[in-house]
Amino acid sequence: MRPSVPERAALAGLQLLLAAFVLLPFFWMVSVSLKPATEPFAIPARLWPEAPTLDNYVTAFRPEFRTYFVNSVIVSGATVAITVTLGLLAAYSFTRARLVLITALMSLVVLAQMFPHAAIIIPIYRMMRGAGLLNTYAALIIAYVSVTLPVAIWLLRGFLGKMPVALEEAATIDGAGRLRVFFEIVVPLARPGIIATAVYVLIVTWQEFLFALSFTATREMRTLPVGLNDFVGQYGIRYGELMASSVMVSVPVIAVFFLLQRYFVAGLTAGAVKG
Amino acid sequence: MATVDLRGLVKRFGSFTAIEALDLAIADGEFLVLLGPSGCGKTTTMRIVAGLEEPTAGDIFIGGRRVNEVHPRDRDLAMVFQNYALYPHMTVGQNIGYPLKVRGLRGAEREAQVRAAAAKVELEALLHRRPAELSGGQRQRVALARAIVRRPQLFLMDEPLSNLDAKLRTGMRAELKHLQRELGITTIYVTHDQVEAMTLADRIVILNNARIQHCGAPAEIYARPANAFVAGFIGSPPMNLIAGRIEGGRFRHPAGGLPLAAAPGAVLLGIRPEHVGVVDAGAGDLVAEVFSAELLGDVTLLNLRAGPSMVIAKVPPEGMRPMGMRLGLRLPRERLHLFDAATGARREDARPKDARPEDARPKDAP
Repeated sequence: MRPSVPERAALAGLQLLLAAFVLLPFFWMVSVSLKPATEPFAIPARLWPEAPTLDNYVTAFRPEFRTYFVNSVIVSGATVAITVTLGLLAAYSFTRARLVLITALMSLVVLAQMFPHAAIIIPIYRMMRGAGLLNTYAALIIAYVSVTLPVAIWLLRGFLGKMPVALEEAATIDGAGRLRVFFEIVVPLARPGIIATAVYVLIVTWQEFLFALSFTATREMRTLPVGLNDFVGQYGIRYGELMASSVMVSVPVIAVFFLLQRYFVAGLTAGAVKG
Repeated sequence: MATVDLRGLVKRFGSFTAIEALDLAIADGEFLVLLGPSGCGKTTTMRIVAGLEEPTAGDIFIGGRRVNEVHPRDRDLAMVFQNYALYPHMTVGQNIGYPLKVRGLRGAEREAQVRAAAAKVELEALLHRRPAELSGGQRQRVALARAIVRRPQLFLMDEPLSNLDAKLRTGMRAELKHLQRELGITTIYVTHDQVEAMTLADRIVILNNARIQHCGAPAEIYARPANAFVAGFIGSPPMNLIAGRIEGGRFRHPAGGLPLAAAPGAVLLGIRPEHVGVVDAGAGDLVAEVFSAELLGDVTLLNLRAGPSMVIAKVPPEGMRPMGMRLGLRLPRERLHLFDAATGARREDARPKDARPEDARPKDAP
């Protein structure tokens, strides 16, 4: 049934309110990043700077920022690639294998993601130190893969589980072997699910702070979230540059999300309705 | 082209038995229909032939070669699935060409074969469309073209017409039959629709409860069903099965009876709706009352209540009768089938007797 005009107006109003509530911090971040150093704490507070300036961006875009950015891209990119590949293979096995043992393994996978990061960080740190991996990309990539993989498997399993097996059987009878069926039928059809999972993994790893801080020691290895911390000093916080950096950190992820949004929504609800 | 030979086939899923000791030999070029209600094992049988399921026991021979351990790809067969199973990310042309692509055929030769297959099912104009842009009937044609493109030695079809609307189904049925005759490829066809089975098959295998109930040509199955299940499954509407007893050379029923020389016992008397004679009350073998009447256009179906039994009579359209009207049913002796009430098996010992003095005695009261 189509809602009446007043009902729709009320719904739209509520949606606007919700959007404002969610977006206000982002707005404030952008606003502060454009304020000259004197203004962030001016009283009365201004929603929008009187004299917007890009000075903060110029200062924030220092050489270190570029190093951190490259590090983040390498670590997140590798994590996304490894997690999605492993997740896809594992999820496919979980949906197609008929063994009881394999079903039981899935519960273990779910269990694995229940531990809070704070609880596992010290064991992981000791393992990384033992393996001589501290302060390397590998340390972060391995740690990120291990924390994102369970959710990735879970997401992809839901997606693959709803794909009709008949398609794979048809390909089998058409003459394709198992690998060929996987790469030519399963992977193309799972693309929305793969993209949704990749976006999820990217968002998680791009903003991860605790592991990045703990497993890296030098500026050369730091990632963006840790880099933001540079502006938090012992005697004060340089809000202008901090917010400008935050904007620059957020933009790539937001851009990716907007570009792939339709896959993301489709991936999370795929199969919910008969297509 | 190939023969198919199934020997002692058994398939169990846990404690459930889908197929029990099935033996079946299919001739080269034959159109064989596996017919039965859902869960009777017909699809499982086909999937075992395809190599998508492994039998629990028994052997599968295709073209004289035992293929139990052979991968589906090397069994040289093609299959049409109930929901078509077209690859949604490929065009019609790529769908049809996939079996060729997988087998390493490329370029102009592949394209020529795809075109030839598409032409057979009148799809040439749609080769660049995606399956999602096609109607149900067109999708069905793509699935068919994908099956015939490689000229396999065996076709497997799993209820290929069941997702089409009634009108389209009739048209596709004719096309399928024509195509199969033209190509002369051995075909195993699974359906639960007895009209499809009757019209398409060279031979029908009726399955129920994991076992073959009857195996024979459509006309034979219709004329002499091997048991009560087959009798009640084939024909639309199916054969009337009237429960009664044979006693003293008569078939006795609460609504009447008729002379029938057969060994005494509980029986099911079978008669096809088109053979039931509707006569005036007081005449005929059974008394009955009109329960409902349905005019189908070319015929009228009378649902008649004869004592505890419902009997359907197929009469000419002008044979419409008002509800509640009492009348008599004549059961022509030469049209009767007799089945054992306990086992359902066909009994061949019935000898319709000619009218004798003992038949003159009053009919059993309803």
